[in-house]
Amino acid sequence: MRPFIEVVRRFRWKPFGTTDLVEKLGYATGYARNFLSQATRQHLLITGPKKRKREKTFMVNPSVIKKIVLKGGKEKEELLEALGLRSKYLGEYVALKGFEVVDHDLNLYRLGERIFSDEEGQDEIVITNVSLPKKIITIEI
Amino acid sequence: MDIGRCWKFNDDEQPPYPTIEVTLSSADYKVTISPKVDTGFNGSFAIDKETVKRLRLAPVGTILVKTATGHSEVSVYVVDVTQQDLAITQKTLAIGTERSLVGRKLLESTTWLLDCKKGRFCIMTDLS
Repeated sequence: MRPFIEVVRRFRWKPFGTTDLVEKLGYATGYARNFLSQATRQHLLITGPKKRKREKTFMVNPSVIKKIVLKGGKEKEELLEALGLRSKYLGEYVALKGFEVVDHDLNLYRLGERIFSDEEGQDEIVITNVSLPKKIITIEI
Repeated sequence: MDIGRCWKFNDDEQPPYPTIEVTLSSADYKVTISPKVDTGFNGSFAIDKETVKRLRLAPVGTILVKTATGHSEVSVYVVDVTQQDLAITQKTLAIGTERSLVGRKLLESTTWLLDCKKGRFCIMTDLS
């Protein structure tokens, strides 16, 4: 998962190839190829548009964002950090559609009302907190 | 003030605890349950695993909540909550927990009587 998070941090939704992993992330060519092959098999990456002749490109699969958020834990935290959300939305709740923050609020329920009042497009959206929520939900028991 | 609709405490635990009856529904399923009233819960509704299964709900997110023992990450669901005596019919976010709970957000617009002597939790109605 570590190289995948690095790829999200560096390229986000932009296409990249083996050369980019070698040049921009400092990976050995063999390691970069193995990662691309494995991550594509796991549907973490999808095929991107061709950049140059013979060079295949890849892109982060946007639907993976929702899967990782729903799984929670350390991977979610690392992903949100890699997406650059901590600096912008620290302590807030965000609604993500792929890489895009479609809405955010300090109040979870206000955000939920806006996002889920409309039936359409709900399936792709995922809600989560960015670090410790300023208006956290508390449960006594 | 007068006493309106009351719900009996549930005494399957000691001490018995207040409950109110609510109907939850998803796109295709509906269940009526009597969750514990948790005045320490500042949200609207918490939903247990069994009810999530019965309603065939899919999570729409995960959030961090604060419990008595620390922080915990929980799933979030969208559910329709109906409580006729409170004139509530709303789509709300419900958090996934071990047991279903009604929180302060669902109770805040009503005056309540917590009658521990008679073991009942009642809506107070204003006759003025």
